[in-house]
Amino acid sequence: MTAEPIRKVCVIGAGTMGAGIAAQVANAGVPVLLLDVPARDGDRSAIASGAVAKMLKTEPAPFMSAAAAKLVEPGNIEDDLARVAECDWVIEAVIERLDIKQGLYAKLEAVKRADCAVSSNTSTIPLAQLVAGRSEAFRKSFLITHFFNPPRSMRLLEVVTGPDTDAALAGRIAHFADVGMGKSVVRAHDTPGFIANRIGTFWIQLGINEAIDRGLTVEEADAVAGPPMGVPRTGIFGLVDLVGIDLMPHLKDSLTATLASDDPYQAIARDIALIGNMIARGYTGRKGKGGFYRVNREAGKRREAIDLASGEYRPQAKPPPVRGVLKALVESKGKLGEYAWALLSHTLAYAASLLPEAAADVVAIDDAMSLGYNWKAGPFAMIDQLGARYLAERLAAEGRAVPRLLALAGDRSFYRVEGGRRQFLGLDGAYHDIVRPEGVLRLADIKLGTKPLLKRASAALWDVGEGVAALEFTAKMNTLDGEVMALLGEAIPLVASRFKALVLYTDADNFSAGANLGLALFALNIAAWGEIEKLIAGGQAAYKALKYAPFPVVGAPAGLAVGGGCEILLHCDAIQAHAELYTGLVECGVGLIPGWGGNGEMLARWQAAPGLPRGPMPAIARVFETVSVATVSKSAAEAKALLFLRPGDGISMNRDRLLFDARARALALAEGYTPPARPEFRLPGESGRVALGMAAQGFHKRGLATDYDMVVSDALATVLSGGGADPAETVSEEQLLTLERETFMRLLHEPRSIARVEHMLETGKPLRN
Amino acid sequence: MQVYQAPLRDMKFVAHELHADDGFGDLPALAEFTPDLIDAVLDEAAKVAQEVLLPLNHSGDIEGCTLENGVVRTPKGFKQAYDRFREGGWCALASAPEWGGQGLPESVNKLTEEMIVAANVSFSLYPGLTHGATTALESHGSDALKQRYLPRLVSGEWSGTMCLTEAHCGTDLGLLRTRAVPQADGSYRLTGGKIFISAGEHDLTANIIHLVLARMPDAPPGVKGISLFLVPKFLPNDDGTPGPSNGVSVGAIEHKMGLKGSATCQLNFEDSTGWLIGAPHKGMEAMFTMMNTERVSVGVQGLGIGEAAYQSAVWYAKERLQGRALSGTKNPTGPADPIIVHPDVRRMLMTMRAWNEGCRALCGWVSRALDAEKHAADPEVKQRAADFVALMTPVVKAVFTDLGFETANLAVQVYGGHGYIAESGVEQYVRDARIAMIYEGTNGIQALDLVGRKLPAHMGRYLRSFFHPVSGFIAERKGDAELGKLVEGLEKAFGALQLATATIAEKGMADPEEAAAAATDYTRLLGLVAIGFCFAKAAFVARDRIAAGSAEPGFYRAKLVTARFFFDRLLPQVSAAFGAIKAGKGSMMALAAEDF
Repeated sequence: MTAEPIRKVCVIGAGTMGAGIAAQVANAGVPVLLLDVPARDGDRSAIASGAVAKMLKTEPAPFMSAAAAKLVEPGNIEDDLARVAECDWVIEAVIERLDIKQGLYAKLEAVKRADCAVSSNTSTIPLAQLVAGRSEAFRKSFLITHFFNPPRSMRLLEVVTGPDTDAALAGRIAHFADVGMGKSVVRAHDTPGFIANRIGTFWIQLGINEAIDRGLTVEEADAVAGPPMGVPRTGIFGLVDLVGIDLMPHLKDSLTATLASDDPYQAIARDIALIGNMIARGYTGRKGKGGFYRVNREAGKRREAIDLASGEYRPQAKPPPVRGVLKALVESKGKLGEYAWALLSHTLAYAASLLPEAAADVVAIDDAMSLGYNWKAGPFAMIDQLGARYLAERLAAEGRAVPRLLALAGDRSFYRVEGGRRQFLGLDGAYHDIVRPEGVLRLADIKLGTKPLLKRASAALWDVGEGVAALEFTAKMNTLDGEVMALLGEAIPLVASRFKALVLYTDADNFSAGANLGLALFALNIAAWGEIEKLIAGGQAAYKALKYAPFPVVGAPAGLAVGGGCEILLHCDAIQAHAELYTGLVECGVGLIPGWGGNGEMLARWQAAPGLPRGPMPAIARVFETVSVATVSKSAAEAKALLFLRPGDGISMNRDRLLFDARARALALAEGYTPPARPEFRLPGESGRVALGMAAQGFHKRGLATDYDMVVSDALATVLSGGGADPAETVSEEQLLTLERETFMRLLHEPRSIARVEHMLETGKPLRN
Repeated sequence: MQVYQAPLRDMKFVAHELHADDGFGDLPALAEFTPDLIDAVLDEAAKVAQEVLLPLNHSGDIEGCTLENGVVRTPKGFKQAYDRFREGGWCALASAPEWGGQGLPESVNKLTEEMIVAANVSFSLYPGLTHGATTALESHGSDALKQRYLPRLVSGEWSGTMCLTEAHCGTDLGLLRTRAVPQADGSYRLTGGKIFISAGEHDLTANIIHLVLARMPDAPPGVKGISLFLVPKFLPNDDGTPGPSNGVSVGAIEHKMGLKGSATCQLNFEDSTGWLIGAPHKGMEAMFTMMNTERVSVGVQGLGIGEAAYQSAVWYAKERLQGRALSGTKNPTGPADPIIVHPDVRRMLMTMRAWNEGCRALCGWVSRALDAEKHAADPEVKQRAADFVALMTPVVKAVFTDLGFETANLAVQVYGGHGYIAESGVEQYVRDARIAMIYEGTNGIQALDLVGRKLPAHMGRYLRSFFHPVSGFIAERKGDAELGKLVEGLEKAFGALQLATATIAEKGMADPEEAAAAATDYTRLLGLVAIGFCFAKAAFVARDRIAAGSAEPGFYRAKLVTARFFFDRLLPQVSAAFGAIKAGKGSMMALAAEDF
């Protein structure tokens, strides 16, 4: 789809949502005017500029880079509203009050360009009410774009259009939101709460009601309404703590006021005294003094949970073990199984009753819940796990209404795979292909119709079309081991003979957590030094083989790509990264150094970087600074600044587009491809090591580095400065690899390195020994 | 004839020379136990074992224990021996000084234990069980219980028992049924029947303190609902004298294969008053603190009996005249040569000797770790010692008792037909040794503990405490001109152990049955390599002492020979164990149960 680009955006309302949306627009590289009401005195744009300043201190950061933050221009709606004329899109994110919104639109109508879209971020007010009294031209340009909090990381965008909304204009916004801002657009109908919050609020209210009525503890309820249902660990009560308990009455009031009187939500909506008391006492969740759970600092940071009956806090109990299979769960005897059935059956039946009222098809509903509430399976995918027939029959047996859609499904499932394509059951009773937007390519879809070209325990190779192969990692957290290296070895000749290019890609949330440390630690514990050295040498060789393969290799990372997962990317010809990329060489954190060629690759990059002073030391010092403290990028943009990505590497804002974009990049490189030349290094040797050591001493003196940090950073400095290299001679890539390997093996024998590795594996946290 | 002279020279070698560089360092807390003091303790223990306990071993076996009118009598002489043993302070040897014990280091105590079990394993169970009960009570009992019971238990005035097994549950204690009903005064009333209770009833002490596993009315099912109770035979008066009888009665004593001098009782508890030890439902944990150290002691039973069997066989092989040496007559004045001249008899004697010396050396290392676990100042050393103890406990228990039985069996073979006759005394060793492979957790359970729990724990951290010293030793000593070949043999065996460990870890992760199928062979493999390492170290010490002009070159030369024999003739068993492990569970599990 080729839509007119969005060149400038105005966000009105600099609260958490408005500011966060503005930041994400800026992350897309588009300038933003952020307006709020004028401050009473001083700088009249202080509210908006204050919001930007606050975001610069927020963790996780709304901005992906310092450059993005500079794209946000603060202003106020009295002095700057006319500048809306500069913008292609105005996003209104002011307080949820119809009169205020309507007043604002009236003013906007007077200043905006005809082709400028206006959208509201309302979560509750119907579109028809918002545009009441506006001109047809305004109504044509108006839509609802409902973002989720925080706008940088929540992938769902519900888009609602009215009968008058111009389809092309809505398409232009949706396209920018998708490609530019990285959101997955779900089209919702103009009904209260749209899709995700309509079902989500029902689910939460029911989950609280049933837990109280059935005498469950919050831990029990969350253990049931969490991972066993494919829902995040926060479950029900933990989720409310996260989003804010004070939001609950607002959501309830708004939905009861706007939903039809016979909507099932009306029957379960109730004021809960406990919640009222909690809000009154400042227990509004994680942002307040605590919520259903809290950390009691007076009792030595004891984790506590609230007693739903008494409202008193007590030590948090270990959650009961709950079986993972959904059907077994709802059929299990006892209060946990009965709770699961009550919660799930009502929620799923409710979701089934919302079609076609709230959305066009089951896919929209499932996507909204997966993207907006992080459910692994949406309601209809969950119904498939139980069986539509089973659910219908059990509802009927309990004398409850069976939604029409369940009856329509009968013995059929809502999803199926036919001829290698994923299909859904339409409201017409027929199956239809799930059509991905152009430019969206998922490995999971490809896998439905093909078999892997190669497969080993922790990696596989796939044909992803157009002459491109994709190598994916498959171990837990996509860790890397000998099997991955062996598969790389097999893949290179195969790709060379049958494909134009290779991409490294996985559908998983995280590209790779690096070498499989657990395996390495076990090998170390049994003193299998030879095996470990083989693994290191094998990884070095495999990565270099990838680098010098006769075809282009494009890394397509998303999420975490650290240690060996970062090093493999350093060996690629190019990267197409998801904007959310957390990459770095973190080995020093576990008392080691990069061992799979990362040192040489980083040195080569910094030596080639423009703007550094002459001589070998500046590049070495930059690599040392980055690697010795295990720096990890907080975005792809930041990874570029650290040279984990090259300046020309691509960034995909939308996770779903990553594989498609990477494939295109690989194909672009394939034409007339020649492998890179082998670098030679001029390294200072001993004097360089000493210089780096002096820099590290500074950290040590200030208490920022431990004694053992000094040992580890000295090992790193030894490799980066070329060991005993003669400054007059060049050091080959091969020599540097040998030095890297020997130094790595030396550290591996150090008890304090072993303690760091062990601690990381057992606690997930670095040990500062 | 039962012959036993405590192998004091080898024991002192283990205590002072062999493990000096084991990485656990000096333990200042045990500084008062100087080498002289340790030697004096060992010398005295040898006298008690040889002069007091050994003479009762064979007679006790023949006479056995008797039950008449609810009273159990131990064999003739046991009571007098027990009194001498107690008066000599031997009951209190390893207990904490706080309760009247002598706080002897485990590295010394395990050697005295070896002497006692070698001389009379039946007798050893009476003070042995008391020591187990003492340990559990000391670690988990309330102060009041400790004050009331520990001093008399430690002194040996009273004895103790461990009441776990019931008729329908042995290994799977989760099934046990003995009930404990709480009373208003905080005590409990216990009702139920226990079997296989060693020293459950006897005439050696004024009172018997039973530690009993039982279930409270509100207990969760399975092993998580078991609590530990202290139930005295007689409720003690405030002055410490035994008071009224507490409803504990003997139903029967078992007629057993061996250990006939030890009274193994069926006990009935009828509304017996007891007190909780440790937390409710945490009885298994309390029991296991005791069980772990007891498992090493059971391993020592295998070693002790093996030593007695070996010495009895050597005596016979020198006495018995049959045939002539193949290399020419050795005893021209006699009608035949002593059978010790024959290679096959040598094979048996050297095998017995090597197992005994190897196990003693390994036990010395584990005992050092037991001391370091308790007394080391450096937390890193303490941790490493604890890891090593955790790893080696099932190996010592299972491998030592398997080898003790094998060794006793070889002694009978050396005796030939005479060995099969009770009068020879050596068939008793076979019978006495057999139980050690079963109790305190069968050797199969030990192997599962090693493979299922100890091996994967903390991603193999326990293994490091053993694998790294061995790997370091090999790297350091491989090039030795004289003993390099020995080290190469160790390296090869160690390589097989590493591979086997990695294989089990990998296969076992995907299929726990694979790990279980390999467990027994793996335990033996680890034991063989550990003993091999000890022999390699011993060889270096011996070589260096000879080179330094030791006044006892004979002892060290013999040590070198025994080490070489072990490397030549016993360590190759590694290949068999490794082969079995590599084969996996396939043929082992292929038959359906009904096809058996």
